[in-house]
Amino acid sequence: MVFNSLTFIVFFACVLALHSLPFSWTTKKINLAVASYLFYAAWNPPFVILLWVSTVVDWYAAQGLVKARRPAARHAWMLLSVSANLGMLGFFKYGQFLLDNFGSLMAALGVAYHPAHYDIVLPVGISFYTFATMSYTLDVYLRRAAPAQNLLDYALFVTFFPHLVAGPIMRPTELVPQFAEPRRANGQQLRFGLALMTLGLFNKIVLADSFLAGAAERIYDSDKLPGTLDAWAGTLAFSGQIFCDFAGYSTTAIGAALCLGFAMPDNFRFPYAAVGFSDFWRRWHITLSSWLRDYLYIPLGGNRHGARRTYAALMTTMLLGGLWHGANWTFVAWGGLHGVYLAIERALRARFPNYRPGPLMFVALGLLTYTLVNVTWVFFRAKTFGKAWLVLRGMFGQNAGARPILSTFNLVTVAVIIGGMLITHWLMRGRTLESMVARAPAVAVCLVWALMAFAIIAAQGAGNAFIYFQF
Amino acid sequence: MPLSTSSSDVVRDAAEGHARRGVSDQYARQTAADRPGVAQPVPVRPVPAQPWGRILAGAVLLLGLMLAGWEEYWRAYGVRPGIANTFGLWAIQRRRIDAGEGDATVLAGSSRLYFDVQLPAWERLDGRRPIQLSFEGTSPLKAVEDLAADPKFTGRLLIDVAPDLFFSGYEYRTGFIRYARTESPSQRIGQWLSMHVIEPYFAFDDPDYALQTVLARQNWPQRPSLPPHIQVRRLAQHEADRNTHLWSKVDNDPEYRALARRIWRQNFEPSPDEPSPEEAVRIEKEQIDRMAKAVAQLRGRGVKVLFVRLPSDGPFLAYENREHPRARSWDALLAAARAPGIYFEDYPELQGYSLPEWSHVAPSQAERFTDALYGIIRRDFWGPGAVAVSARATPVR
Repeated sequence: MVFNSLTFIVFFACVLALHSLPFSWTTKKINLAVASYLFYAAWNPPFVILLWVSTVVDWYAAQGLVKARRPAARHAWMLLSVSANLGMLGFFKYGQFLLDNFGSLMAALGVAYHPAHYDIVLPVGISFYTFATMSYTLDVYLRRAAPAQNLLDYALFVTFFPHLVAGPIMRPTELVPQFAEPRRANGQQLRFGLALMTLGLFNKIVLADSFLAGAAERIYDSDKLPGTLDAWAGTLAFSGQIFCDFAGYSTTAIGAALCLGFAMPDNFRFPYAAVGFSDFWRRWHITLSSWLRDYLYIPLGGNRHGARRTYAALMTTMLLGGLWHGANWTFVAWGGLHGVYLAIERALRARFPNYRPGPLMFVALGLLTYTLVNVTWVFFRAKTFGKAWLVLRGMFGQNAGARPILSTFNLVTVAVIIGGMLITHWLMRGRTLESMVARAPAVAVCLVWALMAFAIIAAQGAGNAFIYFQF
Repeated sequence: MPLSTSSSDVVRDAAEGHARRGVSDQYARQTAADRPGVAQPVPVRPVPAQPWGRILAGAVLLLGLMLAGWEEYWRAYGVRPGIANTFGLWAIQRRRIDAGEGDATVLAGSSRLYFDVQLPAWERLDGRRPIQLSFEGTSPLKAVEDLAADPKFTGRLLIDVAPDLFFSGYEYRTGFIRYARTESPSQRIGQWLSMHVIEPYFAFDDPDYALQTVLARQNWPQRPSLPPHIQVRRLAQHEADRNTHLWSKVDNDPEYRALARRIWRQNFEPSPDEPSPEEAVRIEKEQIDRMAKAVAQLRGRGVKVLFVRLPSDGPFLAYENREHPRARSWDALLAAARAPGIYFEDYPELQGYSLPEWSHVAPSQAERFTDALYGIIRRDFWGPGAVAVSARATPVR
C-alpha cells in the first residue's frame, strides 16, 4: 500500500495500537513482521514469495559465510547471495529490456529475431529490498557486520514496512541492532514522527502530485513542441516533483519509523543547494549513492589505482546507477551525464587545487549545478531520446514556431514552488530540519502543521504511486 | 557520487572545500555519504525541543476549524456529499459480471447514458438493476471491447452513441479497464473506506473542489496565443452503484447553467488541435470497425446488443449533426455492426425533455425518460414479442 492512502492510515493506526500493547518484545517484532508482509501483499500478494526468497537466501548465505573456513567457500556464499538477488532483479526488471536490445542487435546484424513480449509485472520495491538484503551478506562478507542473532530480526530488517519499497536503503548495522532491545516511541517521538509524516505527505500529495506533476506531464507527455519558457518550466517542475515525491516518501518513512520508536537515516540533505556534483550526490538519495559507492565503486578500485582507473570506476558506477533506476537507455544517459559531470569536477579540482570561490561565485556555482542537474532530469523524465532532444532543444531556444503549452497558472505555481524550494534549500544547506524546528516559535510550528494537513486533505490526493516505486 | 574511498578522504575533502569556499558547507548531520567503506552506525533522530503535545492539540483544532470552514463554503455553494466517480467504483460494478451476474443488462456509454438512465426506474420496470459501466466524456468502445473479450458476459448490452465522443474515440477517462484488472487489495480497501467513511459525509471531497483545481480556475492572465479554455465543471451527482443524474444546480442555477453551456460551446469552435477532415473520417471509420468487431464477438455468444442515440439539443445537436452526420456515422455504425439502434429523433417518446445544458436530461425528468426508453426497448427489441425486430440487421427507423 502507499503512504498516501486511506488504507495506510487504518493500517498504521492498527500497527501503532498493536505496538503499544503490553506484549513481549518478540511478539511485537512478530507483529511488525506480519504487518510488513501485509503492507507488501496489499499490492500483489504472490510477490511476498519473492520477499521470502530474498530473505531466506541471504539469511542462509550469511550463515554459510560465517561458518565457512576457507576463503573460497566464503566467496562462494557471497556470490550465491549476489547472484540470487541480481538474478531476481534481472529477470523481473531487465528481462524484457535485455531481450529487446538483443533483438535490436540482431536486427543491426541483419538477423531477423523478434523476442516474445512477456509482459512481466515489476514487483514493487524489488530494487530497494534486494539492495538491502545484498548489503547484509556483503557486510558480513566484508566483516563489517556480524550476522543477525535470529531469523526474525533479519526478516524484520528486510521487510520493516517504512523502508521496504522505496528506502531509505538500510544497512544491517543501522537497523538490526535496533531490534535487539525493546523499542517504543515516547510521546515526543510519536508527535514529532506524526509531524514528519505530515511534512512528507504534504510534499508528495500537495507539491509533487497536485501542483507540479501537471506542468511536467504537459511538456513531457504531449507531442507538442515546447518553447524555451515551457520547456524550462516543465523541466523545473519535474525537478521539484521528483524531489518532493521522493524526499516526501523518505520523510514519511522516517516519521513512521519514529512513531514506532525506530531511527532511520536521512536520505536527502537539501540537494538543490549543492555546489558541485560530488556535493549533490552527498545530498541526493544518500542511501543509494553510498550503497553504490561502498559495494560497487570501491570494489571496482575507487580512487586507489590512478586517474584512469578512477574515472573508469566512476563512470561504471554512474552508468549502472542510472540503469538501476529503470530498464531504459534514457536512465543510462542520465547516469552517464552525472558521471561526466563528476569526472569534470574531479579534473577541475585537481587542476585548480587552490581555487576558493567567494560568496557570490559560491552561489553562482550552486545555481550552475542546479541548472546542469536539470539538464540530466530531461533524460530521466523523457520516455525516449527523441522526446528528450525535443525538450532540450526547447530549453536552448531551438524550437522555432513553438506555441505556448502551459497556462499562466502552471507557470506561476512552478515559479513559486521551485523558487521557494531553492531558497529553502539554500537557507537549510548547513542545517537540519530538527534544528530549524527547535528554533521556531511553537505557534508557527502548530500553524504550519495544521496548514499542511489541511492542504493534504483539500488537495484530495488520488493515491498516486510514488515515482520511485517503479524503480 | 562521492569520489573518495575512505573516511579520511572525505574529511579532507570537506575541510578543503570549506577552506576553499570560505563559506560553511559542512553537513549538519553525518550520513552514510560521509562514512565510506565502513559499517554504518545506528542513526540518531533527535526530537526538537518543543511542547509537542500542545502543538499537536493546536494543530488538530486548527485543522478541524479549517475543514469545517471549507465544508461550509462548498455547502453554501450548493454542493452535497456524494459518491466519487472513481475507477474503483467502476471496478466494483465491472466485477458483478464475474460474480454471477454475467447475464445482466449492461449500460456502456458516455455521460448521456450515465445521467439520463436511472437505475432504480429501470429496476422497477425490469425487475433487475442494470450494471452501469458508462464513463463521462469517454467513448464506450474500450468498455465494449473488454466485455466482448469476457466469456462470462452473456447478457444484454445497451451502448450509448454520443457522436462527438463515440466517433472520435475521445477518452476523458483512460485506464479504468486496466485499473479494474489490476486493482490491488490495498486499492479495494481504500475504495471501500472512502465510499463509506469519507464521501457520504464531506461535500468538499469532489475533484471539482480540489485545492489545485479551485486555484487553477481563478481569473489568471491569459498567455498570448494560448486560447482560453474552461475545464468542464461538475455536472453530476453519483450514488454508490453508479446511478447518476445531472446535478440539480445545472438545472436550477441560471448562472451555473450558462457556465456549463459556455464550456460546451468551446468545443463547437474549430481548434488547431483538431484532426483534419480526412483524418476525422478515418478515425470515425476506425471506431466503427472496432465496434463492429466487438459486437460480432458478443453476438457470437448470444449477447443482445442495442445502440442508442440519446437526446441533445440546441447548438450541441447542431454541432453533432455538422461534425458527424447521421448517414455517415450512426447509419454506418448500425450497418457495420449489424445491430439495431434507437435514435431519439425517431421516437416521439424520447423527445420534448428538458436538457438544461443541451446534452443531458434534467434530473427531475430522468426517471420519466428512463421509463420511456425502457418501454421502447421492451416493445421493439428485447421484450417477448420483439424478437423479430431485434434480430434485424438493418437500422431501425
